[in-house]
Amino acid sequence: MKQDTAAKTMVIVSSLYFGLALTMGLLTALKFVVPTVGEIEYLSLPRVRMLHTNINLFGWLLQANMGILFWILPRILHTRLFSEKLGVLNGVVYNIAVIGGLASIVLGHVKNVEYGEMPTPFDYLVALSWVLFGINVIGTIAIRKVKYLYVTVWYTLGAVIWTTFVYITGNMLSQLPMVTGINQANLIWFYVHNAVGLIFTPLGVAIAYYMIPKQLDTPIYSHKLSMIGFWVISFVYVWTGAHHMIHGPVTYWLQTVAIIFSFSLIIPVMAVITNFFGTFATAPRGTRMKGPIPKLLMMGTVYYIFTCLQGPFQAIRSVNEVVSKTDWVVGHAHMALFGAFSYYAMAGIYYVAPRMAGRKHLYSEKLGDLQFWIMTIASVPFFAVLWISGVVQGYAWLNPENSFVETLAAIKHAHIARFTTGGLIYLAYFLFIYNVLQTFFGKYPEEETTVAE
Amino acid sequence: MKIDVEKSLLWSAAGAFVFFAVGAVSTTIVPPMVDKSLWSSEQPVHEYTEQEMRGMEIYRREGCVYCHTQQIRHLDSDQRRYGWRLVKAPPSESWEYVNDRYHFIGTKRTGPDLGRVGGKYSSEWHYAHFKDPRNMGEKFPDRKGIYEKASIMPSFAYLSDEDIRDLTAYLQTLGRNKNWRVDENGKPLNDYEK
Repeated sequence: MKQDTAAKTMVIVSSLYFGLALTMGLLTALKFVVPTVGEIEYLSLPRVRMLHTNINLFGWLLQANMGILFWILPRILHTRLFSEKLGVLNGVVYNIAVIGGLASIVLGHVKNVEYGEMPTPFDYLVALSWVLFGINVIGTIAIRKVKYLYVTVWYTLGAVIWTTFVYITGNMLSQLPMVTGINQANLIWFYVHNAVGLIFTPLGVAIAYYMIPKQLDTPIYSHKLSMIGFWVISFVYVWTGAHHMIHGPVTYWLQTVAIIFSFSLIIPVMAVITNFFGTFATAPRGTRMKGPIPKLLMMGTVYYIFTCLQGPFQAIRSVNEVVSKTDWVVGHAHMALFGAFSYYAMAGIYYVAPRMAGRKHLYSEKLGDLQFWIMTIASVPFFAVLWISGVVQGYAWLNPENSFVETLAAIKHAHIARFTTGGLIYLAYFLFIYNVLQTFFGKYPEEETTVAE
Repeated sequence: MKIDVEKSLLWSAAGAFVFFAVGAVSTTIVPPMVDKSLWSSEQPVHEYTEQEMRGMEIYRREGCVYCHTQQIRHLDSDQRRYGWRLVKAPPSESWEYVNDRYHFIGTKRTGPDLGRVGGKYSSEWHYAHFKDPRNMGEKFPDRKGIYEKASIMPSFAYLSDEDIRDLTAYLQTLGRNKNWRVDENGKPLNDYEK
């Protein structure tokens, strides 16, 4: 089988899913403004919301990450992918799982697991394709031609190991008949939080650790910081699930443990970010922001700082009292998964797409730049209005004299602003997908001129 | 023998696993071993009837949890807001949930908390509200004005009457493992229920 078939397929398919996910997000935002839009069972607000999160996490982000890593790992390890056939099988099983899972959600067959609504058997298929991915990752490391394992490899290896347990705990063990009530809630929050923290964080950071030095043609700033970042995150992240239930009906010490470890997350995050910025700072000045790839990497890192500073602080009991359960948390989640990790994934796709297609460069750097600027200028207010509305509503809730519906009316402006800025992000997506598809399948202007000659 | 973790697939993997496993075990397996109230209760806890279980499954299918939490937090503001008349709602405790086959603690309040909603509104009220949250008809004049304009709850008019009955039966159980709406003699007050 041709080299990079699996990587190529997964990258293209995931880019298409990204558009579908954004469509669902925009529809959700519209329903917050005009609740009577699309009032049919299969497009009711909660179902569209489940589709939005599941397509984003599984259709787009995880698949894009797997595709990009299938391309990166062999290059870093100076070898070929362990098994291209296994990779293709992985992609096929995975997409059957995603399509089946999404269809089930539309029809209302769901689990009560946030981010894991896809019901059996599709969640088992996701787990199976994850095992296939793991075999390929470990196999590729085993047949490597270099001695040292680079940071990207540690993070990918870590994600493979951690996610296996995290996914099984949240999606299978939590559904066992004897696991009920708060005990079940605890296992599910363990999954929900670590889905972001131990799946998308390490995979996103792995991609950035490869992409930033490669693109800037500068060695990584500090090897020690890489090690601190990796080993501390592998110890610290997993403890934090219970911070979703602060002040709630779960054991008090468990909340305290989650808060302490949530706060400790500042350590690995700052290590990673210092490393990324350090690399940017030592890169040649003239070219370090040229084209969309370094811009996306830089802005992704900026969003990563913000979201990872927000996280520790909103886990503190007093802050949590105001912002928890409000739109603030929605803003936080969007900045992590869209701002940081989708930016990294888009940078990754812009980087690998021309190389996979055998081209010298991206179809259009200018379009890429334009897409970056529209997305960035739209997403800053997109996140900001959600935090503002979260704080407004959080404080309004403290006074029981304000009826609930009054506190909801007070944040109408934010919901309108979210829809409009979200619409801009949606438009920018089409520039992205056009650029990617043109790079893979389109004709480049200079090729046409050579034909003419 | 000197071990160089960065050269060894085995040691990297083992290290990442062990570091992770400490926290994973401490936060998933240890809590129910230490805190029995996560899975058992010394006080009687409501056993769901078949109809209420059907209602619980509809609650899951329709994704109510994405806008409604089911937890009165240990905060004065929560207890007052979700109280009844001038009685504060008692905070939710873990033992109250032990019979919940599916948990719906929730994490986002686009709508109000439902942790102690059971018995607060009549089943007729719920029926009208599911059918059209922004226009509940002449029977409920207090739901005019701002509710018509600002409520963003979707209409669940597509549910069959039987589905709404099952769902309402489930809602009416919520939060009643603590008998908190009582008169001065400790007698349960259920004037809203039909």
